[in-house]
Amino acid sequence: MTRRLALAGTVAALAATVFLLGGALSPAEEAQPAPLASSNAVAEQSLEGFRVGDTPALVRRLQAVLRSRPDDIDSLSALGFAYLQRARETGDPGYYPKAEAALRRTLTLRPGNALATSGLGSLALSRHRFREALRLGRRARALAPKTAANWGIVGDALVELGRHKEAFRAFDAMVRLDPDLPSYARISYARELLGRPGAAVRPMQAAVDASGFEPEPYAWTKVQLGKLFWSMGKTEAAAREYRGALTFFPGYVYALDALAQSEAAQGRYGRAVRLAKRAAEAMPLPQMITTLADTYWASGQRRLARQQYGVMDAIARLLKANGVRADLDLALFDVDHGIRLPRALAAARRAHRERPSLDGDDVLAWALARNDKCGEALHYSKRSLRLGTRDALKFFHRGMIERCLGRESNSRAWFSKALRQNPHFSLRWAPVARRYAR
Amino acid sequence: MKRRLGLIALALAAVALAVAAAMIRGASPDSASAASHREAPLISYTPAEDLTDVFMFRSYEAGNQDTVVMLMNVNPFSEPSGAPNYYNFDPNATYTFNVDNNTDGLADIRFEVNFTTEIRGVVRALGLPFAYAALPPITALDGAGSEGLGLRQKYTVRMITQPGRGRPGGLLSGTQDRFAVPSNVGPRTMPNYPNLASQGIYQLGGNVRVFAGQRQDPFYIDLGGVFDTLNLARNPPLLSPAEDAAEKNAFGVDALSGFNVSTIALEVPASLLTGDGLGSAATAQPAIGMYASVSKFLAGVQGAGSGRGVGAFTQTNRMANPLVNELVIGTVDKDRWNSVTPDQDLQFAQYVLNPRLATAFELLGLPGTGCVPAVGVVNLLPGAQAAQCSKTNRIDLVNALLKYNPADAAPTGDFLRLNLKLPVTTPLASQNRLGVAAGDLGGFPNGRRPKDDVVDLAIRLVGGPAYFTARAGDGINVDDFQLPATFPFLATPSDGINRVHLDRRDPVFAPPPFLGGP
Repeated sequence: MTRRLALAGTVAALAATVFLLGGALSPAEEAQPAPLASSNAVAEQSLEGFRVGDTPALVRRLQAVLRSRPDDIDSLSALGFAYLQRARETGDPGYYPKAEAALRRTLTLRPGNALATSGLGSLALSRHRFREALRLGRRARALAPKTAANWGIVGDALVELGRHKEAFRAFDAMVRLDPDLPSYARISYARELLGRPGAAVRPMQAAVDASGFEPEPYAWTKVQLGKLFWSMGKTEAAAREYRGALTFFPGYVYALDALAQSEAAQGRYGRAVRLAKRAAEAMPLPQMITTLADTYWASGQRRLARQQYGVMDAIARLLKANGVRADLDLALFDVDHGIRLPRALAAARRAHRERPSLDGDDVLAWALARNDKCGEALHYSKRSLRLGTRDALKFFHRGMIERCLGRESNSRAWFSKALRQNPHFSLRWAPVARRYAR
Repeated sequence: MKRRLGLIALALAAVALAVAAAMIRGASPDSASAASHREAPLISYTPAEDLTDVFMFRSYEAGNQDTVVMLMNVNPFSEPSGAPNYYNFDPNATYTFNVDNNTDGLADIRFEVNFTTEIRGVVRALGLPFAYAALPPITALDGAGSEGLGLRQKYTVRMITQPGRGRPGGLLSGTQDRFAVPSNVGPRTMPNYPNLASQGIYQLGGNVRVFAGQRQDPFYIDLGGVFDTLNLARNPPLLSPAEDAAEKNAFGVDALSGFNVSTIALEVPASLLTGDGLGSAATAQPAIGMYASVSKFLAGVQGAGSGRGVGAFTQTNRMANPLVNELVIGTVDKDRWNSVTPDQDLQFAQYVLNPRLATAFELLGLPGTGCVPAVGVVNLLPGAQAAQCSKTNRIDLVNALLKYNPADAAPTGDFLRLNLKLPVTTPLASQNRLGVAAGDLGGFPNGRRPKDDVVDLAIRLVGGPAYFTARAGDGINVDDFQLPATFPFLATPSDGINRVHLDRRDPVFAPPPFLGGP
């Protein structure tokens, strides 16, 4: 692409970084002095022998380079991104502080470095610090306005802050700058939020096609496409996508987790538990623990289900220690499982202040309802559905709120609506919806 | 062909791609459950949209000389050992040959090629983490013998004509499956690759033939040397008369040796292209212009392309004459140049009129640059020299690159131009790498054949008369592979275990014998 051309002979050194970061930064926008010629060799050394899935080796190489040349900013920023990738691969939040240190040091050595700013924006998103992510994303965008990724950071943060109009404008700008997997996936997500899941399929399929059939991006997009089908009640189509992801990326945790939910919803609990256990052991994140707990619970193994509650507590502490704000996920878990409801409500309120997204509204509504504050809950439930999103779980929560307010026929209508949208929307709550819908 | 420069860090290309893919596109998947957000990967690289070269010439295959062959190459620097996924076309892109048949600088006929990808076969059944596998060996593109093709691409070819032109048009590829020829993995997986590839040549409606798949990169250049401001293996980089005439390399190495590309090739009857619908002998409108473009699927949330249907497409890449975007267009305008149609090229005229490359030559102490005089052939060459042509007002280059005829009042934009009335030079062995400049009217800039040495020609055209006289060049006169004389006219690609990348430290490589062939 032309952006790579711009490197020309003199800036060959930058080429390595640009490739490494997949062109996170258009060199034309990189107003800083060209890196030392020798850093080309350094980067080359670092990349030699690197293969897909071998991020640990890349980390080791970059660390070795930095031991002898601690101020090599290309290697330093690359290391920051490599740690972010390790966090993605392992689910271990312990990589976040390391990524932050490398990226911050890059900025200290070269203030106004767009790439490091962008990296910190991504990091803030991963830690669910969305106001910070918005600030960083905007700064990175000002430094490198033609870099699509920076519009993605801004848009992602705005979605989580409930500012959808601005967010979707950012996504539209992003896809025009670079129509590719990252922007297609965001367009699809936006259409889904707008209650147009059918129209979300084509761009997500385009995202799959844009994965280059590299295992992880391919598997990620297949799982997203599967979840889209799942949200539309297309159980078989969803399972097909999950299995497709596993074919190309055996053991892919997010596909195992999704397939576990799918198997459990169809009553195949033995298989579901095996899949959910594999996922939770490989990557013990709140999402995986929730699936495992609910699968045990649905299969009647209540004691094993309750054991997972303790695991969740430990994970909450670990996430918090590494700067991740997981209040929303944890509040939802507690509310769903009837654990310490007043504390869960406080957490949901706290989470909502940080993250007034549609999901933030929904979890707060649900927490309020479970604490018998159904009037206030109704307000947030309406907010959570204000874009017309067709999310069965949000419909169900609304049904429970209406029920709590004594509006029986309203509530039955919402339960039916939830089940029509996706009869398997939740292992725990779909049976409740079926019972109350009658 | 932005690639030439970007991939200066040759050795890095393959590993860097892997890094980019693994590390950055590597997803950061979050759940779609109520309490999380979905953080898609942020960064991308799309070599399958990166045009490296475009060719157009009358076929020099016996019996087919009344057809026009058009080729476009993508996937720069395909390292043959680039397992496990190798090289594919982009299913989100439309690949288009745009043909102007009335010299107005607007496309009258377009051939659009679209791909879809399927994951299939034994690979899927066994759950192998590879796109291709050797179980069993791959001997066919479909049916028995194709089971090992774990990732396969199909495509359609559509001809689109201006309304009212009475052309067949429509879907040329019909209802049958047309398969792209996969990358040459190696002799165990693909024991007879030439045979496999030949199955990928299809006869379509309108007597059009098509091939899509991997080929050896026919471009030959001392890439690093040229882009290190002509830091070539000989200083100054001038060839002796004997060296200039020989079909072997004088100095340096072909930096693209051992690399492959992905090719889309069309062979189209001349009568399907001309404005009057007549063949090359009879037509009264023999001048054909062509550029290749790649457009990308574009979906939006609220604006254009927000509908449910196919959505919009946006042009991300185009190419006609070789090296224009690389050597002529300024860095700040390269993306914009890629995104517009040739009729918008007037805005870039200043880059052509005052080429920076010529300035660079003079800074190096090479001979003084100047205007190329009229060669006196056809309407496709720098024409009668306007008096005001000068170093900073290179009207000759505008005439050569942007006009059908120097007499045209305004440039029509960057097209590869072919005069169908000019004779085809056949056999292949009699073609001269310097084309029209050496009296071979069948070659560049009358269209472009795989054999044409556009690097030396670009140096000489930009440098001017003194560079022709002194025979300036990069020393690489011939590709590392022998070209075939039959459709699709590009050689069998190197396989994953027998490829050879030549290096300046190697003894001067002077084929024949070639490293490979058809």
